[in-house]
Amino acid sequence: MGTLADLEISCTGKRGALFALALKTGGLSVLTAGLYRFWMKTRLRRYLWSSIRIGGVPLEYTGNPWEKLLGFLFAVVVLAFYIGVVNLLLMFFSFSLFQTNAIAYALSFIGVLPLLFFARYRARRYVLARTRWRGIRFGLEPGAWGYAWRAALHWLATILTLGLLWPRKAFYLEKYLTDRTFFGDARLRQGGSWTMLLGAMLHLYIGVYGSAAVIGLAVWLNRPQWLLWLLLTLPWALFGLAYWRAHSFRLLTSHKQIGTESEAAALSSSARGRKILGIYLGGYLLTVLVVLAGIFAFFFVIGFVIGGMLNMDGLLKALNVANGETGSPSPGAADKLRVATIVLYGVLTYFASFLLWNAARTSFVTLPMIRHFAESTRLTGPLALNRIRQRARDEFAEAEGFADALDVGAAL
Amino acid sequence: MSGAGGSTGSRRPDADTPPWLRPAPSGPTFADFADGEHARLARVGLRLYPHERPDRLVLALPDGAEQVWPLEELRLVPGQADPEAFVLTSMSDPLARLYLGKGPLAARISAHAPALHAGAAPPPPRRRLLKWGGAALASVALIIFVLVPVMADQLARFLPPEGERALGDATFEQIRKVLDQSGIGPVRICETGKGREALDAMLARLAPEVDDLPYPVRLSVLDHDLINAFTLPGGRIILFRGLIEAADSPDEVAAVLAHEIGHAVYRDPTRDALRTAGSIGVLGLLLGDFAGGTVVLFLANSLINAQYSQAAETRADEYAHILLKEAGVSPAALGRMFVRLRDEYGDASGFVAHFASHPTLAERIAASEAAAEGVTGTEPVLGARQWQALSGICSPLPPNLAPVPGKLLGSDMK
Repeated sequence: MGTLADLEISCTGKRGALFALALKTGGLSVLTAGLYRFWMKTRLRRYLWSSIRIGGVPLEYTGNPWEKLLGFLFAVVVLAFYIGVVNLLLMFFSFSLFQTNAIAYALSFIGVLPLLFFARYRARRYVLARTRWRGIRFGLEPGAWGYAWRAALHWLATILTLGLLWPRKAFYLEKYLTDRTFFGDARLRQGGSWTMLLGAMLHLYIGVYGSAAVIGLAVWLNRPQWLLWLLLTLPWALFGLAYWRAHSFRLLTSHKQIGTESEAAALSSSARGRKILGIYLGGYLLTVLVVLAGIFAFFFVIGFVIGGMLNMDGLLKALNVANGETGSPSPGAADKLRVATIVLYGVLTYFASFLLWNAARTSFVTLPMIRHFAESTRLTGPLALNRIRQRARDEFAEAEGFADALDVGAAL
Repeated sequence: MSGAGGSTGSRRPDADTPPWLRPAPSGPTFADFADGEHARLARVGLRLYPHERPDRLVLALPDGAEQVWPLEELRLVPGQADPEAFVLTSMSDPLARLYLGKGPLAARISAHAPALHAGAAPPPPRRRLLKWGGAALASVALIIFVLVPVMADQLARFLPPEGERALGDATFEQIRKVLDQSGIGPVRICETGKGREALDAMLARLAPEVDDLPYPVRLSVLDHDLINAFTLPGGRIILFRGLIEAADSPDEVAAVLAHEIGHAVYRDPTRDALRTAGSIGVLGLLLGDFAGGTVVLFLANSLINAQYSQAAETRADEYAHILLKEAGVSPAALGRMFVRLRDEYGDASGFVAHFASHPTLAERIAASEAAAEGVTGTEPVLGARQWQALSGICSPLPPNLAPVPGKLLGSDMK
């Protein structure tokens, strides 16, 4: 009893549960000087992947924290040389030729860019190789260097045209990735053309170029009151960004196919810009509120404890008495203890707000975003999937080490 | 063949709920099964035999075949977002998945399968972890302790004077910010009028002209407790208030100053700064971005407590001896400063810790005494009044007497 009906995609993740998981694993990462981050990422991905159900069957993330740690160590071996020697040379030339280190930072960033693209592709290969649905592995063909030079050239063209060619870059990079992506033994295909994305960019073009024009004219003609137009163009740019995310996703996704020409499964999406804008605004507002509330609570709970300790003379006296000594402590000792306590408080507050921010953003922005993209997408012609067979495991010992070491795509 | 997944086309209220999540009816239980080889789902009937030998879960496939999963080999797929999800696999068939959902059968399986939560992941690859961990450590050590120092030594020779000065200025500002504990701003530079004059007089007496440097020495005192002094690239020498307060005589301050001028002449700080520039990125790589701020701390710390090589310290000492002798100050003051600080303050302060832990400290003290032998007609580097003024260089002044900030000795020495 086969069915031709489309498969719906749903998302069962809960914001509260994800927040708790992100906070707990993030805290462990900080406590272990970053070592636990490989376990944190594994657990968060397991949660998020399993929350996405295509036709009722959840995705599965099978990545393993140990292989991530190994991949990171491997990346350190390779990158330590590059980063150490290149940084030193750049610093030398920057100071000897320009008497500043700004040039060195800029060059260092540009020099590392191709490596970032490379790392992004390899990280994607790892994540796809560790993703399964209906027990079947996804996969990405090797091709990181091809991606790196293409990405570098597309970025160059985009910058030289002041962003005009952004949709072209987005389309061709997505096509490069999609055309090398497999589900089991079947290859995905990205159809369509880059010009179809121009419409999705419309509002972003208006908002950004409009703002630039307003600022340029106001400065050039010395009419500061014209800057009021920014009240229109800047929100327009923000909406444009949400519109672009929704509609570029919609168009690119709706042109993805898998299977033979005669019998193909395809995706279709109806993601909406206004919904994305709402998630941005609401999600980040909630995130900021959570961080503020957290700092506030932290201030009162820890602050009272430390506030008591700020009376250091009293504390030291109490300690002296407890140790059976008499006399007042030296004022220097109290000062040092006071400074150390304030520093400790600052460090704790920094890590606490950092943790809260990450956990809140994951659960109030990332998850709703995934939910919207999932629920607005459906899989048509699912019968074509039934011919697909398992693919071999991609061992890929390097995992996402490069991306992790370079902090790209190191998030989810 | 059975339906793929949940939707059967109709729009019943429970159409969105996949079959394996719907409450199981009594009687035979069905579940969706992925065999790990094909991307299609099969609807299988499940029978649990918990008390027979061997205890097992039997999956009745649509084609009439049966698959038998021993209970001890059953594993739950971990980390499910949906609390109602109950996804099983078997160690004997690790790619297969059984999408069951919570219900009476799931409860009975949980009660009878002994290792449901054991995890299907392979154990940590200890040997490879050791191998790559060792390789990572070795490569970082090789770069930080061999490659970068060798390159820094070579490059420091070719860095033009303007470049050195820019490098020193950039790090000076960074260090002032890092040392600040009040949160108000960078650590104050002490410039109290008479104190500044005394400082200038000391430098002028010690080194009326330093031919060995392509730039003038620029000397500052920072308002900080540390008993320390350090030199930055480009001839920038910094004394801390703590050092001046700890000194017994102006000669001892002058001796430390002469030693620091020695470092500047031999470009030790430039080598060290380049070395740090090479090492810092590597350390950032190891720690990840959440520790971004600590890298800057490390940078400042390594410059203040610069661990120059034994040879570099000896070289700077020898230079100081000559400078002091030429200025008519006894080189023994250098040794006296070491001894007194070690005796008085123990190993706690950075300066003393550095020198006291040095195996050749005794030799260095002896060397300074040897250099002082036969030196006659020495005079204290500063008069009593000037020494008093220098000691109070960080004391606040009424605004009308405050010196113009940023006026450094170097500009007077051209």
